[in-house]
Amino acid sequence: MKLSAIRPIALVLTRELAITGFLLLGVSFVVFIILYLSPGDPFSVLLEGQLSTGEARAGLREALGAPTAWYSRYLSWLANMLTGNFGSSIRTGLPVLSEVFRVGFNTLILTIGSLIITLAIAVPIALYSAVRGTNRISWPLTMFSYVISALPVFWLGYIVIYFFTHKLGLFPLAFGFSGGDQKYRWLYMLLPIFVLGVGNGTISEVIRFLRAEMARVMAEDYIRTARAKGASVWKHAFKEGLLIPVTEMIASKIPFILGGAVIVEQVFNWPGMGRMAWQAAQDRDYPVIMGIAILAAVLVRMGSLLQSVVYVAVNPRAAEE
Amino acid sequence: MTTTPLLRVEDLRTYFYSQSKRAFIRSVDGVGLSIAKGETLGIVGESGSGKSITALSVMGLISAGPGVISGRIEFTTNGVKKELLQDLGTYVKVANKENRIMEIDKDVLGWERNVERVMHGVRGKEIAMIFQNPKSSLNPFTTVGDQITEAIQLHTPVKSEQEARERAIDWLDRVKIDSPRLRYDNHPYSLSGGMCQRAMIAMALACEPQLLIADEPTTGLDATIQAKIADLLAELKAELGITTMLISHDISIISRLSDSVAVMYGGTVVENGPAKTVLAVAQEAKHPYTTALLASIPSAKNVTDKGYLQAIEGDVLDTINIPEGCRFYGRCVRVTDKISDSCEHREPDLREIGPGHRARCWLYFDPV
Amino acid sequence: MIRYTQISGEITELSDLPFWKKAGAVDLAYVGYGLVIVTLVVASYCLGSLNLLPHNPDDIDLELMMAPPLTPGHLLGTDFMGRDMLSRLIVGIQAYFLPGLLAVLISLVFGTVFGVLAGYRGGRSDTVITYINNLVDSFPRLVLILLVIAAFKPDIYYIMLVVGLTNVPVVASLVKGKILFLKQKNFIEADISLGLPTSTIILQHILWHNCRAALIIQATLGMAEAILMETSLSYLGFGVQEPTPSWGNMVQAGANYFMQGKFWPSTAPALAILFTILGFHLLGDGLNNLLEGKRDA
Repeated sequence: MKLSAIRPIALVLTRELAITGFLLLGVSFVVFIILYLSPGDPFSVLLEGQLSTGEARAGLREALGAPTAWYSRYLSWLANMLTGNFGSSIRTGLPVLSEVFRVGFNTLILTIGSLIITLAIAVPIALYSAVRGTNRISWPLTMFSYVISALPVFWLGYIVIYFFTHKLGLFPLAFGFSGGDQKYRWLYMLLPIFVLGVGNGTISEVIRFLRAEMARVMAEDYIRTARAKGASVWKHAFKEGLLIPVTEMIASKIPFILGGAVIVEQVFNWPGMGRMAWQAAQDRDYPVIMGIAILAAVLVRMGSLLQSVVYVAVNPRAAEE
Repeated sequence: MTTTPLLRVEDLRTYFYSQSKRAFIRSVDGVGLSIAKGETLGIVGESGSGKSITALSVMGLISAGPGVISGRIEFTTNGVKKELLQDLGTYVKVANKENRIMEIDKDVLGWERNVERVMHGVRGKEIAMIFQNPKSSLNPFTTVGDQITEAIQLHTPVKSEQEARERAIDWLDRVKIDSPRLRYDNHPYSLSGGMCQRAMIAMALACEPQLLIADEPTTGLDATIQAKIADLLAELKAELGITTMLISHDISIISRLSDSVAVMYGGTVVENGPAKTVLAVAQEAKHPYTTALLASIPSAKNVTDKGYLQAIEGDVLDTINIPEGCRFYGRCVRVTDKISDSCEHREPDLREIGPGHRARCWLYFDPV
Repeated sequence: MIRYTQISGEITELSDLPFWKKAGAVDLAYVGYGLVIVTLVVASYCLGSLNLLPHNPDDIDLELMMAPPLTPGHLLGTDFMGRDMLSRLIVGIQAYFLPGLLAVLISLVFGTVFGVLAGYRGGRSDTVITYINNLVDSFPRLVLILLVIAAFKPDIYYIMLVVGLTNVPVVASLVKGKILFLKQKNFIEADISLGLPTSTIILQHILWHNCRAALIIQATLGMAEAILMETSLSYLGFGVQEPTPSWGNMVQAGANYFMQGKFWPSTAPALAILFTILGFHLLGDGLNNLLEGKRDA
């Protein structure tokens, strides 16, 4: 990548950040609408929660008695959020943002780890099928990926837990995160990552997409030229055939992996955002679930941003658009 | 002419097996050519006559999928003869049933490995190829200069980045690209079709190959640019004396650049000889297809003579159902009663009808 | 070298190939399997609604707990309370069948409307649709559903409404894409210049002739997703509650027994989920390859 590529990347980055901001605004609006329409006026609860002192809350309750327009509520809520004030959990009274960040880190590990596993499985199969076509090896693998993508991730989790606790006896039966041997902590993390990576249901789509893209690129004229000049075909096909499609898959599958994380965190009792969301849904703890929804959306958009940046860094023409 | 030709193709057959039609598409069906060192051979013919496939077969670019090849391609440099189609037959199994092909089993992996092994050190270094559609034939994600440098570093003793870069810029200059230093850092999308073609030529020649194969180098470019590229090729030919296989359906560029010409139709060579002889309209002894081709060129003379553009009646040959007689029989206007039976049922072979001039037509020799 | 002298006149009949090697055989197999699954689901739904079950799904039989499949009287065995597995699985279909249809219907109807608007009119509508598309894609579905559950109630119909709405942009961009394709080929211009009324153009020419395959495929994928959502949610405890069976809550209820080595109560519903979702996926993919795409040989 040359220095000349930096300026277009900066331009694109700015543009993408602006779009992302605009989208996140929309996200906040959607969340607002949902909460506003819900019976029991959770919105007031939220707004109250965003205030810190008892007197302020009493004052707000008075003020809320008087009819206020929905948009001023939205704006004051939004303003609070932008300063980091996401209100407090109804259940625990703790500030939402810091709590979610605390557990969010665990979910982040889970998400990134699962993406790596999914790609580690999908990329070789996709590349092999793209280059060798449908044959005795690639066809069963593709079939296998279909089956894997349809299997319920929670059941896979049970199988894995059973296998490890009963057959290998590696982990204590009481499957806890903080309990048990400290030095096995790293191994504890691998199980849910493996389960989510395999069972998130996107593997067959990812394989299909990556294979189609690589096959398309292999048939391009410029690859024929590369062959004709004795150059490494892989080196020429890599950017358009692998790098860009993979970043596109990462960006578009993050939402599915986050959704799967909710389930996997349940199965493994993993203290992450997903389990917190589940708990919040049970308790009708609106501030928490809202905070998680918004932060999840932020994570997804970050993935999109990454994809755009990589695309522009690799494809000089895109910068001109 | 006892010196070994640089490239000798003998009975080359390149067939593609079509699963849906359950038959071979016989793109190249018995082609024999030879190119002497320093000579430019022009291969001319309609689309579908098998010209490009011949070139791709020489370069070993008929790879995966249902393509099968037989014949001999001998490439001789510095006294060393190399057979480019070595061992390919061992990777293909043809299942027959009552003389009908049931199935082709091609060990694609083995075939590819074999081709790579044989062609390694040949492609790009000894034989270089340039293509039609120069814009799409260059990697859109890399700068033009880097692509040339890559070739230089692969195939010449120049390994240092800096030296290779200088050499690439030097070559860009030689192909008459304006501001070569600037253009070096451009990507193909910033360049026009003509400039991309010049860059491709630079990329091919920078490694000083023994043979240059140019597959329709001017097709697809603007008319004025076509002339300029033809000029460039003529200059480079005079300057470097490089052996060339030039493929085109454009007779004007063939006649401008070629020393000898081969006319292809339906996957075979139907006429072969010195350019002056084959392409001279005045020359009487000629394959009817060549005559028709020359007559159909939109030139002032042709139009004034007849008053309209002459086309060749009939359709291009169906390369699956090859007729048993002469391939051009259905469209030939010079069939006489005496030979019409032979034309219909027996395919003529390529025989001398003049010094160094051969044609595949019953008009010129008796069907024995 | 290969000798080609025996090649003349070698056209063979298509029937000479064994059937599994013919083009498209695999896709037909996929579609076949998918249709079998769809039939089973629909049939089971009907049986379930009409209460034509081998056993009452709530009947506890403490003597026959966790019986394996092919126990006399219980084709698929029993669960940890001795309740007949087959009946429970059949009834479990009711948890997702109608709601799933609702989701699919919503996504197809609204998606088509918006897609037509975006494609036919273009310009502003297109930008808006794309924006909404990206917006919806920003949420993980499950998280959004949890939000809706917290804000409203864990009613499966509300949830499927959300699932349907989140799929609207997918269908919309599909339809929009088709329209743009047709526009590019000037079919639509041709229709307009022929003086055809707009409704005919849209309904017959665009939607029926050109989009129907893709829409059917979207329907299968949408149903698969609805099943996945419903089973995940009832697994998490938000859907149908015990003792009413739903495949998701059946897996959850069997969890403890699974860890004790008694796999069947959790595995039977899990396999049901697996084979059903697989069926819809394969149906969608098979149809896609047969009707729309080009498969690599």
